[in-house]
Amino acid sequence: MTQAGAALPPEDEPTTSTQPAPTPLTLARLFVGVALSGIGGGLPAHTRRALLSRGWMTDEAFAETFTLAQLTPGPNAVNLAAMVGARLAGRMGAVASVLGVLTPGLLAMLAVSVVTLGQPGGLPPLLQSALKGAACAALAVLLTAALPVVRVGWGVRGGPVVTVLVFLALGMLRLDLLPVLIVGLGAGLLIHRPGRKP
Amino acid sequence: MTDLWEFFLAFVRLGLISFGGTNVAELERVLVLHHSWIDARTLANGFALGQLMPGPNMLAVTHYGYAAAGLPGALTATLGFYGPTALVSATAVLIWQRHSTHPWVVAFRNALLPFGGGVILAGALVLARTSVNSWPAALLAGVAFLLLWRTRVNSAVVVLGAAVVGALLGL
Repeated sequence: MTQAGAALPPEDEPTTSTQPAPTPLTLARLFVGVALSGIGGGLPAHTRRALLSRGWMTDEAFAETFTLAQLTPGPNAVNLAAMVGARLAGRMGAVASVLGVLTPGLLAMLAVSVVTLGQPGGLPPLLQSALKGAACAALAVLLTAALPVVRVGWGVRGGPVVTVLVFLALGMLRLDLLPVLIVGLGAGLLIHRPGRKP
Repeated sequence: MTDLWEFFLAFVRLGLISFGGTNVAELERVLVLHHSWIDARTLANGFALGQLMPGPNMLAVTHYGYAAAGLPGALTATLGFYGPTALVSATAVLIWQRHSTHPWVVAFRNALLPFGGGVILAGALVLARTSVNSWPAALLAGVAFLLLWRTRVNSAVVVLGAAVVGALLGL
């Protein structure tokens, strides 16, 4: 969700082009920074900002990479890091970027898990209530992230039907994802197969 | 104690079949219903914690791994969930640079988008069933949604605020 595109002032980099080309190490550092600033989401927006301000990627190249990250299986933000890293510094760049974007959260999550799950007899009631409250907001976060995804899919020919059927199959009937994926994608490919005149 | 290899493969699969966001519905089906590695409460809690962590939201898988099998479980789940997909992505971007205008690539994109919408909505439904089990909880979720949707406030702030409200209400 880079709705922040218009809201971001251009990063005024004085043209003292002493920017060294990205190496795996500098990419790792960049993505550690992205992870730390991206608490609560918005990682792609932070990634874009960090790359453009260093002059390592054009806006077009970023937009294309971002779209592609949406299309590959797996978590968007991490796929984006892998793709940016691969584009800028090859295989090692991809590895370094992924490690960079994952490490801060991994350490934080481990610490929190040890504290919250290591309690004999479960959590204190106050903390349980707090987590329940946080879970309600987390659901809202998921819904706000869902809206743009659903809207884009809705605009594709045959989209609403596929979206609703997939929702019913997975959410209501709790079917296995793989058969639903095959049927849903197969129907979509049939509708949009190349060579048909719209 | 779970068999770590089976655990690893389950998370590899979960990573590879989550598209354009979080597939909570499938996480619940596999981790809670099928293997009973964690319970529904842990699933919802982990998801909430994931919203607060620096980095990708689905670090919830680290929490699930830890809940099921301690530190080895946490590392196994994280590596399995993120490693293979990152590899696929890095490979895809290099191939893509050569074939981006191919008509079948465009068709694939159009087929995938509505599917992604259905997946993410199903995930929201699964989370709602666990998290929204009282009127105050429903109201809190509604207020949080309006805040996130209508204002530019950081989502971590909203989640933390909701945690405070939850503690005060004794949800």
